[in-house]
Amino acid sequence: MNWIIWLIPAFPLIGFLLNALVVRRERAAGILASVMVGLSFAATIAAMVVLEGAPSEAKRLTWTLWEWIRIADFRVAFGLLFDPLTAVMALLITGVGGLIHIYSIGYMHGDVRPVRFFAFMNLFVFAMLMLVMADNLLLLFLGWEGVGLCSFLLIGHYFDRRSVPPGINPSEAAVKAFVVNRVGDVAMLAALFAIFTNFGTLSFYDNPQLGISGYLDQAIVVAGEMVDLGAFGQLPLITGITLLMLVAVTGKSAQFPLYTWLPDAMAGPTPVSALIHAATMVTSGVYLIVRNHTLFDQPASAAPWVLVIGVMTAFIGATAAVAQLDIKRVLAYSTVSQLGYMVAAVGMGAYVAGMYHLLTHGLFKALLFLAAGSVIHGIGNYQDMRRMGGLRNALPTTFRLYFIGALALSGIFPFAGFWSKDEIIAHAWFDARSPLAAIMLILTSAVTAFYMGRQIGMVFFGRPRDQAIHGHESGVAMRWTMVTLAVGAVIGGLINLPGLHWLNSYLRPVLQEPEVIYTVGMGILATITTLLSAGAGYLGWKTYACDLEPRIRVGKEDPLFRYLGDLWRGMEIGWGLDWLYQRVFVRPYRAASVFLSDVVDREAIDQVLVDGTARGLVRLAHGLRALQNGYIRTYALMFLFGVILVVAFFALRG
Amino acid sequence: MNVAPLLSFMIWLPALGALVVLALPRERVAAQRIVSMSAALLALAAALGVVFFFDPARAGFQLVESIAWIPSWGISYTVSVDGISLWLVVLTAFLTPVALAASWGTVERQERTFHALVLLLASGLFGVFTAQDMLLFYVFFEFTLVPTALLIGIWGGAERRYAAIKFFAYTFTGSVFLLLGIIGLYLLHGQATGVYTFDIATILASLQLGTLQLDPAAERLMFGLFFIGFAVKTPIWPFHTWMTTAHAAAPSSGAIDIVGLLIKIGAYGLIRYTIQLFPATAAWAAPAISVLAVIGILYAAWIAYQQTDMKRLLAYASVSHLGLIVLGMFALNPQGIAGSVAHMVNSALTTGALFLVVGMLVARRGSRELKSYGGLWKSTPVLGSLTLILVLGSIGLPGLNGFVSEFAVLQGAWRSPGLGWRYALPALLGAVLAAVYLLHMYRMAFLGDAPPELAQAPDVRPRELALLVIMATPVVLFGLYPNLLFGPMQQSATQIAGGTLQYLASR
Repeated sequence: MNWIIWLIPAFPLIGFLLNALVVRRERAAGILASVMVGLSFAATIAAMVVLEGAPSEAKRLTWTLWEWIRIADFRVAFGLLFDPLTAVMALLITGVGGLIHIYSIGYMHGDVRPVRFFAFMNLFVFAMLMLVMADNLLLLFLGWEGVGLCSFLLIGHYFDRRSVPPGINPSEAAVKAFVVNRVGDVAMLAALFAIFTNFGTLSFYDNPQLGISGYLDQAIVVAGEMVDLGAFGQLPLITGITLLMLVAVTGKSAQFPLYTWLPDAMAGPTPVSALIHAATMVTSGVYLIVRNHTLFDQPASAAPWVLVIGVMTAFIGATAAVAQLDIKRVLAYSTVSQLGYMVAAVGMGAYVAGMYHLLTHGLFKALLFLAAGSVIHGIGNYQDMRRMGGLRNALPTTFRLYFIGALALSGIFPFAGFWSKDEIIAHAWFDARSPLAAIMLILTSAVTAFYMGRQIGMVFFGRPRDQAIHGHESGVAMRWTMVTLAVGAVIGGLINLPGLHWLNSYLRPVLQEPEVIYTVGMGILATITTLLSAGAGYLGWKTYACDLEPRIRVGKEDPLFRYLGDLWRGMEIGWGLDWLYQRVFVRPYRAASVFLSDVVDREAIDQVLVDGTARGLVRLAHGLRALQNGYIRTYALMFLFGVILVVAFFALRG
Repeated sequence: MNVAPLLSFMIWLPALGALVVLALPRERVAAQRIVSMSAALLALAAALGVVFFFDPARAGFQLVESIAWIPSWGISYTVSVDGISLWLVVLTAFLTPVALAASWGTVERQERTFHALVLLLASGLFGVFTAQDMLLFYVFFEFTLVPTALLIGIWGGAERRYAAIKFFAYTFTGSVFLLLGIIGLYLLHGQATGVYTFDIATILASLQLGTLQLDPAAERLMFGLFFIGFAVKTPIWPFHTWMTTAHAAAPSSGAIDIVGLLIKIGAYGLIRYTIQLFPATAAWAAPAISVLAVIGILYAAWIAYQQTDMKRLLAYASVSHLGLIVLGMFALNPQGIAGSVAHMVNSALTTGALFLVVGMLVARRGSRELKSYGGLWKSTPVLGSLTLILVLGSIGLPGLNGFVSEFAVLQGAWRSPGLGWRYALPALLGAVLAAVYLLHMYRMAFLGDAPPELAQAPDVRPRELALLVIMATPVVLFGLYPNLLFGPMQQSATQIAGGTLQYLASR
């Protein structure tokens, strides 16, 4: 029955191929794509049932279709793996993915290229499933770059437009996302090379069909290996490999300092933002670390750096989200920040907590994006929050759903985000004994609540600021899918509720993590965090819905700009990394390219070295007076020279 | 196991076709096309026959056909294939009909001569890849220069005469060193063993058995002569400028780019002669050559980004790929060498197909300047999608062909005791730069808004669609099932790498 796991990615692939090659009508494309993801979800459930029958010491299903690459001792399988960790990821991808596909049928109605959209959405689901189901790192990398490609294609959905709100060029944003991701991907490849060179395999676990051994169980074997860095001394091999993986994670999961592509990725249609840039693709970095946890568990690993990057990103992302004026950009920076939580969690070795937050975040952030899409759709494609205001009357259902999502994201008791975020903070304070990280994360949680309060206040409360806008509620399909996600955002915490530990028990065959023992201290910490968040959320709402509401005007600065000035500006531009990269990388790269092309290549190498040598030879020919002007004569000379040498050699031979 | 002189059929059929084409009346274009295409397709069939009879479990030369030529000097007409040359032969056989079809309707004058020259070039290339006699190899190697230079010089663009002369002069200069190397080795072998022969298999056997022992200085001299000859031809940085000039001046249809310039006879020579014959010196020189290779990868990729002429951009992309090819072979392990040969095939496929795309764009707009294009994906979605597959294949997206060979090359370099991560890591940056320059090109041509002249541009015509699908099929196939490529070269790559192991182990 193990072959059943291939059905999971096969359905979306079929959907992609049919939509790409056969289907021409919008409605057929949407229904086909949704049905295929639905079938994939069903196949995932079926595979989970089969998985229950696997022995507990090796709880995984594997199936290899063919040997992908074989060159002497380098062997890689084209094979899939289905274990509890993969199962929860696949459930999220196909479950939330399926809902977003159904939502898109309504949202993309009347779009210029709906068939293309659904084809690439299916291709994305396929690539993402390959990423989480691959039984080796190279096939994982196929999914890893595949999702990057789909992200590129879907960010560039409106490739023929010069600008989409808030002033992003879609094709430029698409290329930027691909290239920034590639920087991370290159680090990933380097990690692969290092792993194969030292372990002799790229397989996660033993592959019985091809007889390839796995590397994850051998982490301890290379614990003492050192890499010689020349003048920089020595580096433990494990540190090197895990550092490279961390760089890969910063690219794909939009962590500091490579998160700059994610806010611009909002140029894609809103369902794309919900599926790819919130719920699934950007979490693949977290999955990568959890999958390779035996490497990160080594004392010499780069795990402390993972924690630092995660905490920094959480805080930076949250502060940047405060100062955004575009409804989707707030959520984009919020995603950056929440991914920071997950990365921080896995950096502390709290893998279950990281996965827990990954799953609940997938639900409530998808809900928020879809609800934001419902707002944008309902008011005629405006995204600037200064134009909105008072929309709770025009869009009552969307308002309630958005509010649920905001409460879950802000970590308010008893919504899903409260449980998962609290587990990370508690882990930082009590188990990892890193009070600084815990305090930063609590602070970030308060900032999160503040920006969500601000957003709710600006969008749904206050007076309608643009008389041209007349909101209307979205259709049934869109509302129904949002309600489903909202149920998840309310009760999603159940999956690993203290005392139940369902997720922990389910993932135990992979992660072997002990259950968290809950103490009074944790309860106190959780109470403080949630009270702080509730207060910050109220403050954000009050400021933007009541106190400073009259100062919000279309085209004018945010009211808080008056008080914070440059600090506000810094937050608004995402702490200026784009600005910095533009000056440090992009422009010098362009200038150097021109210099290399026009000066070095054309003049130094081609004119001076090559043509100069040729002219020298021609002059030699002149000097000999044996031949006349012109290139052809030179070759004749050289040929003659060669012939003389041949004859000379034969003469010498005798 | 010699069923029929398949290899000789394959080598001489196109030349025969060329003679027939030239004999046809000038105005009977259709007949010329039929004859030339038939010759090319028969050669392709012969090449597939070679694949069929090739035994992948054996390492050495197979399907040997030998006729004494000048016995007193030890020169013979000996042709054969091994795992290294097999796919390059098939690649040549595959691209020749594509090149002929690409020229239909785009070559205005003297179509007859054009077809004849393409066929003669194919014969020359087959000869290069199959010659087992060094002098025969040299003859074929030099012979390919003539049709290529004529094709550029007669049908090229603005700078065609300069480019043709430069191409000829430059690579011919390299050949002088090559000839010296061949004769030198011939004499050294004759003096040591008493057997004067140009047969590589015999010389190789003598080297391996120890009956021919070169002292390090002589071996390095021989290595150097062969290396210079092939380095210019490959080209290895900084000998690459003839190549970018030639691509820029070649006819816009892309026919010459894909057969005359992209097929890697220089790189093939580097493996066959410098590495296989002189493993110890190759291992000694590997770090220095690899530095040039890595510089070439990054330098050419960097320059490619600012090119406004699409053919020039692709020419630099090709130079960058060649850096990777050279790096792979000088990793001197099976992964590196097999990856290197596979990358020769893959790079010729993707870059070649992109040259054809440029030809199709020029047919629609009459310009090779990137800035005259834009938004083509909207008016020509099929062309846009197929081009995207080729672009992604070229920048190494997993699942397509470029990735597999790039990965094998870099994995080989990383684990090679002579090179290691210090070489592989900077080379890896080339993967970022490749995404930068090719996506830049794709974005400028196919995304954004369309200039009014292109708003109604017609999508692919049947001939264009067929060409691109034929080129894109192996791009996907080799990406998902690369063992098709790696399988037959397994033994040969391992054997060649084995020659250097002894030296590397002693260090």
